[in-house]
Amino acid sequence: MGWTRRIVTLGLVAALGFTLVGCGSKSGGGESKTTEPYKIGAVLSLTGTYAALGTAEKNAIELEVKRINDAGGINGRQLDVIIEDDATDEAKAVSAATKLIEQDGVIGIIGATGTGQTMAMRSELQRASIPQVSMAGGNAVTSKFDKLVFQTPWPNKIVVPFVLQAIKDAGYTKVAVVSDSGGYGKDGHEIIVAEAKNMGLTIVSDQTFNAGDTDMSAQLTNIKKADADALLMWTAGKEAATVVKSATDLGLGLPLFGGSGQARAEFASGSGVAAEGFVFGTGKSLMPSNWPEGSEERKAVQDFADRYKKAYGADADIFAGHAFDAVGIVADALKRAEGDVDSAKLRDLIEQTKDLPGFGGTFTFSATDHNGLTADDLALYKIEGGKWVLAK
Amino acid sequence: MSELLQFFIAGLKNGAIYALLALGFTIVYASTGAINFAQGEFFMLGGMLGVWFSSLGLPLPVAVVAAIVATAAIGAAFELLAVRPLGAGDPLRVIMVTIGGSVILRQLALHLFGPDELPLPPFTEGASIKVLGAAIERQTVWIWALTLLAVLGLAFLYRKTAFGKAMRATSLQRDAARLVGVDTGRMVTYSFALAAALGALAGLAVTPLTQTVFDVGAGISVKGFAAAILGGLGNPVAAVAGGIVLGLLESMTAGYLNPLYKDAVALVVLLIVLFVKPSGIFGGGRREKV
Repeated sequence: MGWTRRIVTLGLVAALGFTLVGCGSKSGGGESKTTEPYKIGAVLSLTGTYAALGTAEKNAIELEVKRINDAGGINGRQLDVIIEDDATDEAKAVSAATKLIEQDGVIGIIGATGTGQTMAMRSELQRASIPQVSMAGGNAVTSKFDKLVFQTPWPNKIVVPFVLQAIKDAGYTKVAVVSDSGGYGKDGHEIIVAEAKNMGLTIVSDQTFNAGDTDMSAQLTNIKKADADALLMWTAGKEAATVVKSATDLGLGLPLFGGSGQARAEFASGSGVAAEGFVFGTGKSLMPSNWPEGSEERKAVQDFADRYKKAYGADADIFAGHAFDAVGIVADALKRAEGDVDSAKLRDLIEQTKDLPGFGGTFTFSATDHNGLTADDLALYKIEGGKWVLAK
Repeated sequence: MSELLQFFIAGLKNGAIYALLALGFTIVYASTGAINFAQGEFFMLGGMLGVWFSSLGLPLPVAVVAAIVATAAIGAAFELLAVRPLGAGDPLRVIMVTIGGSVILRQLALHLFGPDELPLPPFTEGASIKVLGAAIERQTVWIWALTLLAVLGLAFLYRKTAFGKAMRATSLQRDAARLVGVDTGRMVTYSFALAAALGALAGLAVTPLTQTVFDVGAGISVKGFAAAILGGLGNPVAAVAGGIVLGLLESMTAGYLNPLYKDAVALVVLLIVLFVKPSGIFGGGRREKV
C-alpha cells in the first residue's frame, strides 16, 4: 500500500518534470524545419455571453483553414490554427493567450471575439511581441493604437457617424440613446455623444442597461417622457430584442436605429413585429449583392457565403465574416513571406497588407491604420417582414 | 404619475418571476436544509424546452405544459442521480453538488440547443393594455396570473392534501416524519421536482418578452436567491413577498436613479436586511432550542 503510493507519487513528479521541460524547450523556439506547419492561435468566446458570435467565428476559421490546407497550404506548409475558448471572460482570455504563446509556441493570435477580451490580452501579447488580429468591433481596439494589434470589423468610429448621418438625413434632430454598459455599448456611446454634437443632433435622453437585463420599462418610460423624435440603440447583446419589444408595448412610436449588433437573424426573428422598420448601419457585405457585379469583394464574399452555407447549413453572419477576414489576412501575410517567419516578421507582413479584398471591405493597412475600413464599406439596412433589405 | 405606475407594473412583473424562483429555493431548502444553486438552470430549461417542443409543431399551451413536466422530471432525476447518493447529512455537500449540476445542465443546453437566443411567441397576441397612461403587456398579465395560480395551488397542496402534509412534516422534523411513516427520501425527490416545475414556469412565462439562451440561469438564480433571503428562507409566503419587494426595489431604482445601479441597490438592501433582521423581512423570529 505504502509502496504503491510512493511509486505513484514519484511517477507523477517525474511526469510533471518532463512536462515542464517539454514546455521550456517548445517556447524556446529552437530550430524549425521549413516543412513544419505555421502555428497560429485563436482565442474565441465559445461559451458565455458571446457564444453565438464565437461559434460562428470558429466555424469560419475551420472552414478557411481546411480550404487552405486542402489546396496545399501556404508556401508548401500547412496552417495550424489552435482554438481556445475564453468563455467571454477577460481573465480567461489572458490565460488562453498565455497558453497559446508559452505551450503551443504560436507566432500570431486571432481574437478575441469581444472588445473587453481583446483589450485584456494585450499586455500578454506585448510581453511576447505576438501580433493580434481581433474580430471585436470596439473602437478602442485600434484607436488606442498598438503596433501589434489589427482589427477586421468596422469599428464604431466609422459605423456610429454613418448611422447618425442617416438619422439626420431622415430629418430627425432630437435623439434618445439607449446603450449597454458592456465594452461594445460603452465604446459606441462615447462616440455617439461626441459625434452627435458635431453633427448638430441633440441627445434628449441617455439611457443604459446591463447585459442580462430582462426588463427595459424604466429606460423606455424615461425616454417616452423626453421629447425625442428618434431612438438610437447601441448594443451587441440579445437584450436588443427586449428593447424594441418593450418600445412597441409602451407605445413609444419612435423610429428605431441601430448598428452592426443588430445584423443578426436572431434579432429580426426574435423581435417579431416590434422590429419592423428598424434601420441599422453595418457593412455592405451583409448582402453580397451590394458590391458591384464582378468586383473582387463580391467574388470573395459570395464565395465564402456559399461555402459556409454548404458546410454548416446556415447563413454566414457578419461575425463569421470577420473571422474569415482574420484568417485571410494572416494567410495573405504568410504567403508573402520569404524564408522562415517569426512573430516579429509576421507583424511586419500583416502591416504591409495591401488591397486585400475580404468580407469587411478591401483591407490596406499602414503604420498608423490597422483597420483600414471606411464608411464606403458600409450600407444602411431596414428590417421588413422579419428580414433585412437595403434601406435606400 | 403614469410613469410611477409604469415602474410599479414593471416591478410587479419582475417580482412575480423572482417570487417563483424564490419559492423553488424555499421548497428545496425546507426538505434538505440546502440551497439548490441549479434552480436558475430549471428556469433556463423551462424556456428552452418550451421553444423546442413548440418547434416540433406542438401547440403553444401543450408545449408549455410539456416543458414544465419535462423540467420537473429532470429535477427529480437530478435529485435521484446526484443528491440522493450523498445521503442525509451535511447540506454543504448538497450545495456543492447543485453548483456542479448547474454547470453540467448549462453546458448540456449549449450543446443541445446551440449558442443563439431563441424566441417563443407571446401566450396571447395583441397590443398592450393601457391603464391610466401606463401600458401593461399581455404577457405580463399572464405572468401575474400564472404566478398567482402557482402560489394558490401550492398553498392548497401544502395545507389540504396528505402529500403536502408529508412534505411539511419532512421539512419540520425529518427523523420524526420518518418515524410516523413518511418516506422522507421520496419527499426530497418531490421537492426538487416541484422546484424545477416552478423554475420552468417562470422561464416559460418570461421567454416571450426576453427570448432565452443557454446561459440565462446564473443571473436569475442570484435574483431568486436574494428574494428568498430577503423574504425569509424556508417560508413560502415570505419568499413570494421577498420576490415582489425585490422586483419593486429594482424597478424604482432603475426608473428614478440609474438602471445600472439596480442590481447593486437590491444587494445593498439585502445586506442591510441580513444585518438588521437575519431571518428576513417576513421571516418569523428564529426560536433557538436548547
